[in-house]
Amino acid sequence: MLKIQGLECGYGRMRVIEGVNLEVGAESVGLFGPNGAGKTTLIGAVMGINKPWGGSIEFDGKRIENTDTHFMARMGVALVPQERELFPGMSVDDNLMLGAAYIPHARDKSDEQLEKVFSLFPILRERRKQLAGTMSGGQQRMVAIARALMSNPKLLILDEPSLGLQPSIVAEVFEVLKELKKTVSILVTEQNVRESLRSIDRGYVLENGKIVIEDSAEGLKTNPYVLKSYLGL
Amino acid sequence: MTVNRKAVPWIILGAAAVVAILAWKPTVLIYGVQRAGLYASVAIPMALVLGIVHIVNLAHGEIMMVSAYLTYNIARSIGLDPWLALLPVALVMGIMGYFIFQLTIRHTLKAPELNQLILTFGIAITMTQAISLIFTPQTRKLPLSYVSMSATIGETSFGVYDFVYVAIALLMGFGIKWFLSNTRMGKAAVAVGQNPRGAAIVGIDVMKTYVFIFTVSVILVGMTGSVFMTRQSIFPYVGSPYTMKSFSLVAMAGIGSISGIIYSSLLLGIAEAAINGIRGASGWSGIVFFLIIIIVIAVRAYKGRKL
Repeated sequence: MLKIQGLECGYGRMRVIEGVNLEVGAESVGLFGPNGAGKTTLIGAVMGINKPWGGSIEFDGKRIENTDTHFMARMGVALVPQERELFPGMSVDDNLMLGAAYIPHARDKSDEQLEKVFSLFPILRERRKQLAGTMSGGQQRMVAIARALMSNPKLLILDEPSLGLQPSIVAEVFEVLKELKKTVSILVTEQNVRESLRSIDRGYVLENGKIVIEDSAEGLKTNPYVLKSYLGL
Repeated sequence: MTVNRKAVPWIILGAAAVVAILAWKPTVLIYGVQRAGLYASVAIPMALVLGIVHIVNLAHGEIMMVSAYLTYNIARSIGLDPWLALLPVALVMGIMGYFIFQLTIRHTLKAPELNQLILTFGIAITMTQAISLIFTPQTRKLPLSYVSMSATIGETSFGVYDFVYVAIALLMGFGIKWFLSNTRMGKAAVAVGQNPRGAAIVGIDVMKTYVFIFTVSVILVGMTGSVFMTRQSIFPYVGSPYTMKSFSLVAMAGIGSISGIIYSSLLLGIAEAAINGIRGASGWSGIVFFLIIIIVIAVRAYKGRKL
């Protein structure tokens, strides 16, 4: 579904991503690495937020290196950004409906989809009239995930979904991801490797712009380097 | 209709002011409302572009001036009534707005807002100077008989033509409100205004939205310019005070509020007409205009909330 080959990316004269190969099929894939490893830059390149310097990115067999963000969304890639990027002055309902309104294949099914996301996040049903900007960080994250799902995506990309959330909500978010991977491909970046390993099939470790480890979730759990650097064992 | 309880004292105060003015000089109210219509019909297009999608356009009044000159010249050269010239002028203004956006403003969207401020200030100067070079700074006016229509109620007689501004302002105001809440492009514009990055990831073409809204605001203020020309004398600098006044009205109304523009214009228009109604005080009207704006903004900042 998503196939990245030899990706080079950066800002100004600084190279951030150096020759990364990464694939996501009908599965849930984790992308781990410390702050500044280049995770957000890599996702930005896929979503057309920053333009790649070199290499290729394919989605559904089409080259997409220079596609604008809104076209990526319409092609079926939904992003849950680190900063959530909600519409703060709109209600939860309006935020969610906007998730579907501009996606041709989701527009007509928005009511069904709304029911689906409310069953995943029951709290949002209770808060549907509340302004998104007045919600807690954890609830805003849920709105962001729910809004992404409203577009009925083929590929869901989440950038550090656990960042800044209390542990109980982190667990809830990863439970939802575990449920979702049955129906949608997922690419999730994380620093919280312990929690996210439970919800993914495969993972990559990105350090200083290069993939240093690629393995199944089971393999990563027993990899001595991962154990030492990411799981603190 | 539900009435906000906090609004009750203001409604009573407003009604008392209206009664007092009617008892003193009914024409003040009439001319005040007409003036409010003019201010609002210039400021509402700016409320759309500044208040909704946050593009700062300091050439707003100058665009109105260019449109007024265009209308004047069409009317003079082929004898078309300015009201009939309105549509072709709107078309030309739309094309102009599109190119101004694509050639200049587009490149400042990701930069700090100061860049837009300086850029559009430059566009404003360019427009004023270009018109001044081509048509000389001389004042121009079309002799139109219908603008001096008047009506008499009781013993008061007054000009009625300026009520067209009120009609234009209400049409634009309600039209834009409807557009923002009922059309795909309108909802996209609100979303882009609140968060352009968020808008892009839900599939909204952010650049197209900016182009559309900017172009529409140029067309609308251009149409106001055509009508403005029928009544007022025009000269190259006629637009700049309106840029300033529109900017202040948008700030006073609260960023993003279209109905706020109508209320603010009413307050300022009537206040100005009242000052002009006092013998020998008309020189103070500009000061009072901005004084009221400063007070409203200061009070709102002090309360720390939107009105």
